[in-house]
Amino acid sequence: MELLLEKIRDRIKVNFDLKDSKFNMNERRIDLYIDKKSISSILFYLKEQMGFKHLMHASVVDWLEEGELEVIFLLWAPKEKISVFVKTRLDRENAKMDNLDMIWPQLNTYEREFKEMYGIEFEGLEAPDEFILEDWDGPPPMRRDFDTAAFAKDVYSERTGREDAKDVRETIAKRSGEEIPDFAKKYSR
Amino acid sequence: MYYDKTQDRLTEIIKNFARKHSLWILAYGTGCGAIEVPATMTSRYDAERLGVRGAATPRQADVLLITGYLTVKTLKRVIRVYEQMQDPKYVIGFGSCAINGGMYWDSYNTIKQLDLYLPVDVYISGCMPRPEAVLQGFGKLQSLIKEGKADGARKYKDELDYYRGNQQKIIKNWDFPDYNW
Amino acid sequence: MKREKATTLYFGPQHPGITGNMMVRLKVEGDTIVHARTEVGYLHRAFEKLAERRNWIQTFTLMCRFCVPEPDPVEASYARAVEKVAGIEIPERAKWIRVLVLELARISSLMLWHAGQGHSLGLYTMGQWSVGDRNYILDLFEELTGGRIYHMYIWPGGVRKDFPEGFGDKVLHTMDYIEKRLDEYNDLMFNNSIFQKRTQGVGYISQEKVIERGVVGQPLRACGIKSDIRIDDPYEAYDKIKFNVPTQTGGDIWARALVRKEEIRESISIIRQVIENIPKGDVYTKLPNPQKWTIPKGDAFARTESVRGEVGMYVASDGGNKPRRVHFRGAAYVHAITLLEDVLVGANIADVSAIMNSLGTCPPEIER
Repeated sequence: MELLLEKIRDRIKVNFDLKDSKFNMNERRIDLYIDKKSISSILFYLKEQMGFKHLMHASVVDWLEEGELEVIFLLWAPKEKISVFVKTRLDRENAKMDNLDMIWPQLNTYEREFKEMYGIEFEGLEAPDEFILEDWDGPPPMRRDFDTAAFAKDVYSERTGREDAKDVRETIAKRSGEEIPDFAKKYSR
Repeated sequence: MYYDKTQDRLTEIIKNFARKHSLWILAYGTGCGAIEVPATMTSRYDAERLGVRGAATPRQADVLLITGYLTVKTLKRVIRVYEQMQDPKYVIGFGSCAINGGMYWDSYNTIKQLDLYLPVDVYISGCMPRPEAVLQGFGKLQSLIKEGKADGARKYKDELDYYRGNQQKIIKNWDFPDYNW
Repeated sequence: MKREKATTLYFGPQHPGITGNMMVRLKVEGDTIVHARTEVGYLHRAFEKLAERRNWIQTFTLMCRFCVPEPDPVEASYARAVEKVAGIEIPERAKWIRVLVLELARISSLMLWHAGQGHSLGLYTMGQWSVGDRNYILDLFEELTGGRIYHMYIWPGGVRKDFPEGFGDKVLHTMDYIEKRLDEYNDLMFNNSIFQKRTQGVGYISQEKVIERGVVGQPLRACGIKSDIRIDDPYEAYDKIKFNVPTQTGGDIWARALVRKEEIRESISIIRQVIENIPKGDVYTKLPNPQKWTIPKGDAFARTESVRGEVGMYVASDGGNKPRRVHFRGAAYVHAITLLEDVLVGANIADVSAIMNSLGTCPPEIER
């Protein structure tokens, strides 16, 4: 098993320059960390030449402390039953990538969502502007510096009278005939 | 419908009797709770013995069942559908998300209090409400109609400025037609 | 004959024949569709943003509301992904109980599909029968987990509670009843000549298109390709259970309906094997205090075979007690947007609802 994963990794290393790679034996998984400029060629190579035909998922993780956005593609080879996680990093201020939906057509939908939720620009993407949010003029909502509770409190107003659940606790205590302990008396929403 | 003081009392009692035994629900599943509505209509919890059945278009419906949370995009369509329904009409708020936002209390896309945008007659609590709770909610609506207190439609017409003010605060692209009542 | 100008129709959010709260904008010439575009976003609650503000156990209460007709495969994906990242092993009995719950959810959702497909073609009796019988399965769920629709039963570490007394006999009794009723559904819907005429040859997808667009689930199996996560990449206790995966070669609505009809029978046989062979033991490994439970840095992806196809959950952790990223991908993400716009071109207006019900377009899992 380890030999098979190493063989795959070495064949990729010959053709592309990898920043780093990791194995996970239990889950039959290889992690590849590569640079942004060689993403489309490595995905083509993995799909056509190495048999990783099935795109399971594509995702974005926001690492605010390091100032980078990480884009991840998850591929699966149906014959050898091995999965590959291809990871690359983009700068947060200037997040740009090439359009990739000529490799797998369903990436069109993923790219529309990443553009709306994270603000990543895909050069050459052809799609209508709005996908999920309508008339949204704030910052991209899934970034970690957007505070959703403060936004909700500001724009929508909540029903008053239930700021803490004191009436619930007192009703339950009266019904079961027991005392509210001291540590529970200070709870509020 | 509201207690119309220009009519005599006997006509109003007969009209309310007819209205409360024939409540048609609009076929619009706005949220999660729409999965318990087919179960309420079929053989175990039969709601058709109370006169409740589905209606296809807003012009043919009496009750708008807001099943669960409402996002801002859906709220725009729901207001338009509500204004197309004809008197007498009622609104039932279904689930805890219609009461005070439910478990999406800190989400940037759902509204927290349905009462500010549409006049609600009956709330049914639960997440999600059981079919027995839905039938009890309809029973409560029927008793409100009998007493002449289910007057959400008249309230919407009289206090239109209050509701429009709240709606325009969160809906940015306002392109509604101007109905002159 | 001259072509007419194209009219725009909104197969909109409020419609008696649509599978949820979504819109398809159609451009129509006469009765034939020339262009279709899907619009989603009416049900967006920002789950993934909310999950970053709750700890690992509080997020699990959000997970079941991703997909409304079948909440259990989503809970199972989240639990397995968290167990992979944290390195937790679950006891053997918990795996078998999870298989039972997932198969019961599959039967109940396929009965709801019968109702939807019948409604879209005008067969309203099917809905009355199958939704009425689905109540018996929801009774089983209520006895085991406490709720009819949202169970919150499968959590990282196992399942919440063990079987109550006499539960195995009740399950077998319900399965016998449902097997008898399946013959009656067959007579009503599949032997009906109107149903056959309206579904054979409609909504055809060729095999190349299916492979190129990454379609999963029953549309894939109805084109002749045998692919199922329970066999290709087995999880829980599926490698110890014997079952078949039905396939057909038609590629139209009729073939997909036949595949779904056979899947209920396979699920019933899986449930019978589980009740016979389930081992004894614990159902849950103890986890530390949820307020302080931290998971080391890493990420994982877990796939499950839900009723409509392959669903997956990607979980990333940064060493804290709240998840860094929880990303769910439903089967309808591919089917309802790129595939639907392709299949609808050239169809009649009267077939749109039937095609949507047969592809399995469920909007809550697209926009979460």
